[in-house]
Amino acid sequence: MGPVELLHMSVFSQSFSPCGRFLAASNNYGEIAVFSLSSSLSPEATGINQKPILTFTAHEGPIFALLSTDAHLLSAGNGEISAWSWAELAKRNPKAVWIRRPQYKSSLEIPEINDMIVNCRDNSLAVGGGDNNIHIMDLETGVFKSVLQGHTDYIHCLSMREREGELLSGGEDGAVRIWDCRTGQSVHRLEVYKYEECARPQYGKWISCLTTDSDWMLCGGGPSLSLWHLRSLSPTSIFPLSGCQRQAMFYQDLILSVGEGHFLSHCLLGGDVKSLIPCSPPSLNTVALNTNSTEHRVLTVGGSSDQIDVFTNLSYKAFSLSF
Amino acid sequence: MPFPSETEKKTTLDQALRGVLEAEIKGSCDDFLSLIDLSIDSVTEGICSATTPFLLLGDVLDCLPLDQCDKIFTFVEENVSTWKSVSSLFWVHGSLCDLLRRLSKSQNTVFCGRIQLFLARLFPLSEKSGLNLQSQFNLDNITVFNKNEQESTLGQKHSEEKEEGMEVEEGEMGDEDEPAPCSIPIDYNLYRKFWTLQDYFRNPVQCYDKFSWMTFLKYSDETLAVFKSYKLDDTQASKRKLEELRTAGGEHVYFAKFLTSEKLMDLQLSDSNFRRHILVQYLILFQYLKGQHILNTEENWNSWKNEGCPSFVKERPADAKPIRPTRKRPAPEDFLGKGPDRKIFMGNDELTRLWNLNPDNMEACKSDSREFMPSLEEFFEEAIEQADPANMVEDEYKVVRNSNYGWRALRLLSRRSPHFFQPTNQQFKSLADYLESMVIKLAKELPDIPSEEIKTGEEEDDDNGDNLLKETNDSPGIQHKLVSNQQMDEVAAKLGSQWKSLASQLEMKAAEMREIETESEDVDMQAKLLLVSWQDREGTQATVENLASALTAAGFPKIAEALTET
Repeated sequence: MGPVELLHMSVFSQSFSPCGRFLAASNNYGEIAVFSLSSSLSPEATGINQKPILTFTAHEGPIFALLSTDAHLLSAGNGEISAWSWAELAKRNPKAVWIRRPQYKSSLEIPEINDMIVNCRDNSLAVGGGDNNIHIMDLETGVFKSVLQGHTDYIHCLSMREREGELLSGGEDGAVRIWDCRTGQSVHRLEVYKYEECARPQYGKWISCLTTDSDWMLCGGGPSLSLWHLRSLSPTSIFPLSGCQRQAMFYQDLILSVGEGHFLSHCLLGGDVKSLIPCSPPSLNTVALNTNSTEHRVLTVGGSSDQIDVFTNLSYKAFSLSF
Repeated sequence: MPFPSETEKKTTLDQALRGVLEAEIKGSCDDFLSLIDLSIDSVTEGICSATTPFLLLGDVLDCLPLDQCDKIFTFVEENVSTWKSVSSLFWVHGSLCDLLRRLSKSQNTVFCGRIQLFLARLFPLSEKSGLNLQSQFNLDNITVFNKNEQESTLGQKHSEEKEEGMEVEEGEMGDEDEPAPCSIPIDYNLYRKFWTLQDYFRNPVQCYDKFSWMTFLKYSDETLAVFKSYKLDDTQASKRKLEELRTAGGEHVYFAKFLTSEKLMDLQLSDSNFRRHILVQYLILFQYLKGQHILNTEENWNSWKNEGCPSFVKERPADAKPIRPTRKRPAPEDFLGKGPDRKIFMGNDELTRLWNLNPDNMEACKSDSREFMPSLEEFFEEAIEQADPANMVEDEYKVVRNSNYGWRALRLLSRRSPHFFQPTNQQFKSLADYLESMVIKLAKELPDIPSEEIKTGEEEDDDNGDNLLKETNDSPGIQHKLVSNQQMDEVAAKLGSQWKSLASQLEMKAAEMREIETESEDVDMQAKLLLVSWQDREGTQATVENLASALTAAGFPKIAEALTET
């Protein structure tokens, strides 16, 4: 990988291993890199420890979504989903366990997959992407059981409302749809850009980040990042962040968000921006918190750079892993 | 046998007292405290030498364990007036310093503090012995932290990785270490760099070494970047904390030394007091390195030391005025401007204001805004323009003919122009003519008014005034003129065979002279050739002036004069 390729690299997605000791990150060249957190966090870590223990090309095009189940790493790129065994990856053996492709209407154009989510209740995987539909696949059998149709433009992001068993999806058409997984029907449709307080017409109406913890929902993109109460389906707080947010998450009583701009934003539930922590990539695409391990409980962010910043303490960047 | 002398008696008693003390030492405190009391009384009576109480005290302090020294010290504190009157501060100081040395700074902090406070009160403020006169650094103040991974007691659990054989970069952490697994990830990099900074604060002299300084800069940059990355926004929180602290007993947080455990790093970084401490350390370091006025109290302290620690006792100022009691009605002096406000009350607000713009009339007259005399330029501008023959202003319309203008012009000239006072033999028929001549002189001096045309008429006037100047200054036009061909011919003709004497003045080399001789037989021609070669060599410096001066120096003043006149 020459310096020019490194310069143009973007990290799109990250996922931590179930044991919490490894981090997998994917980029726009279709590569997945596996980093060992335990060696990079150890007291005697040097520059070598900040390099991946394994890098391999998983797909032909950019990989936009990574997901970890109990034993596998799922990656989705140009229209197909691949599964890798974490145990094998830790042994530096990149061999796909299975590869599946949803049924697409036309076989000429293969739509990309932008996001994936696992429904733990019925052990199914939902993928959404360029064909405006959400495909549900059963993880046991590998069969695509259903298609959720409704969006009028491609889907950016998916989120799961565990308690109610509902799936949320946000797309380019500016709509956040709430689907009942059993019936496959769209229960609600929120058009965020129609709400004056959230709307930012200068950016557009697309929703690029979505996350929920059953009662509350965070969504943002073209419109400002906003916190919604799902029962009343109304916005409660708007966050005055410049730039479009690409990923947001709840953390204790804070909201962490990344997007355009080289910082990780800490926001309070009330709508205040508590602080902006500078990071190395000029623009950020993904933020992930390692909840699988207490020893290696770090926050990592990646974006338009080959560097992935690691935070041991949320208030400053400790070091960077690099592809 | 003669009677023993006073001193002998005293020494006997001293010895006796010490002997008794030695016997009593295993007894209770009160016994030997009363013995020391007795010795003090003996000194006051004059039967014992003055140093005995101190010797006894010293013995006692040296022999007793620390917990009992506390009681002795209380005794010392209580009798502080005695020590002062007996004026043997030296002894007290000595024994107390010994005691201080014995005490551990971290465990007996209160006791150490008491002794130091006592010493501080005992000695006058300007006593030099308590000072760090040379501002030396406390080099013993070393901050200990875990530099080496192997020393760290917070080992990571590496045993399982070893089994699976995945971790290549393991380091020496193996099974022999007892890994107490740490529950949070630690940024060792920052931890090490941060505490290394303390070493630079301890010994700032290291900063003068280039390599150390670069390291210091690098580590500081990283640390300050971390501080900046997450600004502590808890001004409200800290106010609340301060209030809580105050209500809780009014004591400030005190710590003897930084705690450097790795686990505390995160918490410390989020603590604004901690950050403040670090930043103050930086300030002290910079103060040392640059000597700027960051910490002014330090400056005052240093300068006081440098002046030899003068006494702090304030002399009552001799002319200390008693404070004026405030009056309800304005006193009569206030009206006349002698009151504290120095305002003169005119009885009416507007008048007061106007008058008080500048109550002192003389000062007001001197102010710049009352300067009404114009400059020469302004006043004579019109006259100068009219004097310009190109403008063709007729005599009768010239402003200099105006008697009013003339009078004012004379007054201005007398105030501002030196020409007014220069003696001149010229007879002026009228004021207007005189003024015209002055105007012409002024026109020459004033830079921005075009005056070339006027020069042609100036020669008659200049005859008397500028004669002295003429011999040394050529007319301006000719000074930098290059020698023309015709001029050279004329000079050559006049020089004739004497051109060789000129040649040396013109710095001609012998070789060149020989060349000229061989080139032509005619002496006039040779002279001409000389001048030509001189001109070639000098180029732009081949001016009339240079040639004339060379001619004069060579002994041909008449030729020089003739040259300059052409």
